[in-house]
Amino acid sequence: MYRLALNMLFGDRGKLAMLLCGLSFSALLMAQQTSVFFGIMSWTYTPVVNIRAHVWVSDPMVEQVNDAKPMRDTDLGRVRSVDGVAWAAPLHTSFLQARMPDGNFKLVTLVGLDADTFAGAPAEIVQGRIEDLRLPNTVMIDEWGAQLMSRTEVAPDGKVTTRPLRPGDTFEINDVEARIVGICRVRRAFTGGPFAYTTYDRAKAYTLGARRTLSFMLVEPTAGVTPVELCDRIEAETGLRAWTSDTVIWDWSARSLARHTFWWFWRNTGIPFSFGTAVALGLFVGIAISGQTFYSFVLENLRYFAAIKAMGAGMGVLARMLTFQAVVAGLLGFGLGAGMAQGIGRVMIEKGMPPFVMFPQVLWATLVFILGISLVSALIGIAKVSRVDASTVFRG
Amino acid sequence: MSEPAASAVRLHGVDMAFGEGESRVTALKQATFEARAGELVMLVGPSGCGKTTLLSVIAGTLTPQAGEVEVFGNRLDGLGQEALTAFRRRHLGFVFQSFNLIPTLSVEENVMVPLLIQGRGHEEARAVAREMLEKVGLEGREEARPTALSGGQQQRVAIARALVHGPTLLICDEPTSALDKDTGAQILAMIRDLSRAPGRCVIVVTHDHRIFRYADRIAEMEDGRIRRVVDDPSLLEQPHL
Repeated sequence: MYRLALNMLFGDRGKLAMLLCGLSFSALLMAQQTSVFFGIMSWTYTPVVNIRAHVWVSDPMVEQVNDAKPMRDTDLGRVRSVDGVAWAAPLHTSFLQARMPDGNFKLVTLVGLDADTFAGAPAEIVQGRIEDLRLPNTVMIDEWGAQLMSRTEVAPDGKVTTRPLRPGDTFEINDVEARIVGICRVRRAFTGGPFAYTTYDRAKAYTLGARRTLSFMLVEPTAGVTPVELCDRIEAETGLRAWTSDTVIWDWSARSLARHTFWWFWRNTGIPFSFGTAVALGLFVGIAISGQTFYSFVLENLRYFAAIKAMGAGMGVLARMLTFQAVVAGLLGFGLGAGMAQGIGRVMIEKGMPPFVMFPQVLWATLVFILGISLVSALIGIAKVSRVDASTVFRG
Repeated sequence: MSEPAASAVRLHGVDMAFGEGESRVTALKQATFEARAGELVMLVGPSGCGKTTLLSVIAGTLTPQAGEVEVFGNRLDGLGQEALTAFRRRHLGFVFQSFNLIPTLSVEENVMVPLLIQGRGHEEARAVAREMLEKVGLEGREEARPTALSGGQQQRVAIARALVHGPTLLICDEPTSALDKDTGAQILAMIRDLSRAPGRCVIVVTHDHRIFRYADRIAEMEDGRIRRVVDDPSLLEQPHL
């Protein structure tokens, strides 16, 4: 009977198309919105990804990577003295206004690196050399930042053009010159501002000699010591907080800075609610369209189901037929919707905006929801068919 | 002298009413009826006389409030829904007034339905259905959709579907009402010829006096009762019915 059920479903192309529209739209909305949500949320811990270090150390009150509470420089020595530390380097991060030559201001994320080791330097440098940051008043900015801070030029013929910043261009941070000596490629951040890399000591100058500038310490464990073990030792001996740099946000036992950052944004911003609403909307639209279409499919076939019932098919057979039809429609709708979400995601990734991270869990969850919608639709149909009296077939 | 044929359908003192209170309508009043194996019996009578209700009771799709219903020795009036469903699956074939062929399935698939309900394999069901379609003269139309066929052809598909699993009781509800005179006569002739089997009984509900001549006996209904049973169909072959 399953083959006949399938043929009944595929025989009515109009209804099938409508059903697939509803299901695939739901799948698309759920998968795409959830992936954009995770993409945006993955930007919240961008510094952990860009600044590669096995262990991060911060003030004990720090809750996430964008919330630096500066420590004293002497804390660096305390951490270096912990058994199991191969090396520890200072890191400064802060958000500052950069004044462009045309007088405009742009918010930049200033990253101050240890000038000896350049620990935490960008992995990919497109133009220039990291060592050039040792020159006076120099910074390296990221590609996206170079575009974001594009400068306007007026040619001798009066033609106005805009071009991305490039090595040799300058701007000011707190009235101190910042000359670009290189362009790097890093992952974009939730805050949206460009990254300006410089040395730790020069970062102090840019922040006008703030009393404390040590935002984090980047620490490497010695051979044989795991990051988690080292975190335990640092916390026990210094009273500071130590984090690992893994980015698995689902591992509840991990002391990952990325995971804490992700869930901090989850708890303290309206982003999950906003995207959750879109996902819920997808679910409800799916139930409404698919349920209604499947119900109408069942209504149109009711007399045939009654005839099949009269011929001796039990409700079990009919329920299995309807469930099979709904599940097949659900799987097709999921495939179409998830495929479209993947396609849109690919375009988004190519364009770089907005972010898009499709975890396998997102696809599984979407599949479960779509099958749930299909089963709800099937239940509605089964309820209708179960109430049909087989004797109605004799009523013309 | 040959022995009388065994009783195929026997109804005794059957009552059936619908609705409650003032809206209560009595469809069958102490209805008593019998049909024998090997014969084709027509149930005739004016609209609202209870023909369809009687047919539904015989088919086990309605359970009477009182009386006895016996089909091929099985008492239906005491059976539960599951047992009635199983009974219909094994013993009954149906030809409906409006064909009730599933339009999204092919002719062949429509004929396969009773076999698949019985749990027969797809390929086996297909082979049997093809044989049956050949018997009703529809070879070569197996893959067609019912909507691509004429009314007479559709009813022939319905007959094939009704007989494909070898039922002992064939129930036909107004099988010619949607057909013209000649096609109706052909269909009834086909029902009579194909369903003629020693152990099989055919009950046809009809308004169509032109097909009375195909009946072995005719039971005339009035006000929920069998008024009379006529052994000679020509006696009733008048247009007033």
